[in-house]
Amino acid sequence: MNRFGFPDLGIGIGLRASHFGEILARWPELDWFEVLSENYMDTGGRPQWVLDQVAERYPVALHGVSLSIGSTDPLDREYLRKLKALADRTKARWVSDHLCWTGVVGRNTHDLLPLPYDEATLRHVIGRVRQVQDALERPLAIENPSSYLAFAASSMPEWEFLARLAEQADCALLLDVNNVYVSAFNHGFEPERYIDAIPADRVVQYHLAGHTNKGTHIIDTHSGPALDAVWALYARACVRTGPVSTLFEWDEAIPSFDEVRAEAAKAAPLRGVAALATGTHGA
Amino acid sequence: MAPELALGGLQSWMQSVIVHPGPFDAALASPEATALLPPERLGDVLLPSATLAAGERIGIYHEMYLLRMAEALESDYPALAHFFGETRWPALVRDYVCDHPSRSYTLNLLGRSLADWLGEARGVPRRGFCQDLARLEWAVTEVFDAEETPRLDAQELEAVPPDAWDQVRLVPSAALRLVELRWNANEWLDSAKGDDHDHPKPRRRDAWVAVFSQSYAVYRRELSHPAFNLLRDLAAGHSVGQALAAALRRRGTPGPEALARWFQEWASDGLFTRLELSARLPG
Repeated sequence: MNRFGFPDLGIGIGLRASHFGEILARWPELDWFEVLSENYMDTGGRPQWVLDQVAERYPVALHGVSLSIGSTDPLDREYLRKLKALADRTKARWVSDHLCWTGVVGRNTHDLLPLPYDEATLRHVIGRVRQVQDALERPLAIENPSSYLAFAASSMPEWEFLARLAEQADCALLLDVNNVYVSAFNHGFEPERYIDAIPADRVVQYHLAGHTNKGTHIIDTHSGPALDAVWALYARACVRTGPVSTLFEWDEAIPSFDEVRAEAAKAAPLRGVAALATGTHGA
Repeated sequence: MAPELALGGLQSWMQSVIVHPGPFDAALASPEATALLPPERLGDVLLPSATLAAGERIGIYHEMYLLRMAEALESDYPALAHFFGETRWPALVRDYVCDHPSRSYTLNLLGRSLADWLGEARGVPRRGFCQDLARLEWAVTEVFDAEETPRLDAQELEAVPPDAWDQVRLVPSAALRLVELRWNANEWLDSAKGDDHDHPKPRRRDAWVAVFSQSYAVYRRELSHPAFNLLRDLAAGHSVGQALAAALRRRGTPGPEALARWFQEWASDGLFTRLELSARLPG
């Protein structure tokens, strides 16, 4: 069990508009849904109507892309107010976003841009995570990003930055195993080293996804099934953490609900092994 | 220099490069970027990978920025994107987001100035038609996300005695937009659905369209000019009496039976949410 007492929700998939029809028609069996926060913060129409019904029937967690926790712009208080309202409305089990910045001087690039991993940036992000947790009145789960560049100013690896951030800001972690694989390829580190260095008791959720290998680099496209190598990393991580809420992301050429769910279900035997290994089977 | 400023400067430089509308080399050499980091000092800030130079690595983000903006705008303006085609649409997006970059946590607002911008931008073919198509598609987008308010019962409307009409105002549904067109954009939008795409040629055609939602589906209904004018006055807050009096002064307004049918149809479509008595009435 993680130190926050967040439940293991089982295996879920992202709630996507292309699946609304299938979901509403038959309320398919699924452990839980992850909801992209920004898609539902300003809508009073069909998306919100669907979400309300989904949240009545399934556990949900919120996942954001615009918190911009590493930006040097002030935190957007209106955004935080709306995020908290959405979390309350959906009874979200937790709220997550990425270790990144998305824009400065009032502008938003809507990309998850990387940060230099140095002491000054660490202090900056710790302070902001604390502010966000105060505003949301709940712990925040920070996700490791995938990245395509590295800074000369970085003085520590990403896994150390994340571990220290989680410890000093007392936040949770969302470990995206595909992102570890992508960044390991792009930056030339061993992904196993990353997985082994993450504080297991702070991991409250896993992400899995497919990606696109361009030869010289990998882009985190959330397209297609996950590679065997990514599943292997997931298995390695699970043995450390025990079974933790797991979510499969598919955002490009999204297939049917059943196909995405079937890909996500590949996590089940690996979670079973992890439960046996950590003595949490049936817990 | 304070560490926070160092991070701020780094982020400002990265953003100026990533959002630059031109080729990557021009982005690195732009006055905004050069003021913060001369191109020859790139290696002081970013590291190469085993396969990519430092510049190529930030170039990945530069390339993805406009693709992301184009995808976001296309989701709100699918017919307009189709009209421009795969070659001209990216150029239009590039020029538009240069003038109207995202300043919000949500991409849903990115396209809100597009119709007005099309009126002033250089080199827009069939400018009037494009503006009309953009205004119509934006109305559809707004209605899709608007709250679906309870509908006014037709019997409630019929129960208002004629001598009370001057004190009664019809409150429009939050999911109602009225669009006045000078081109056949509504017809063209119909033709953009499905796969055959047998489009009419853009031509001048006056049309008056109510865009509304019912059971979370968006509908467009073409109205006669007199009906549109009456509906516009009612939606603007004129009392029923004032709006009817103005309608009867206009040429082409039909007799009482046809007017009654309009009100019944509008009530059936859920265009009004409730009656207000002695509300603030425009003079």
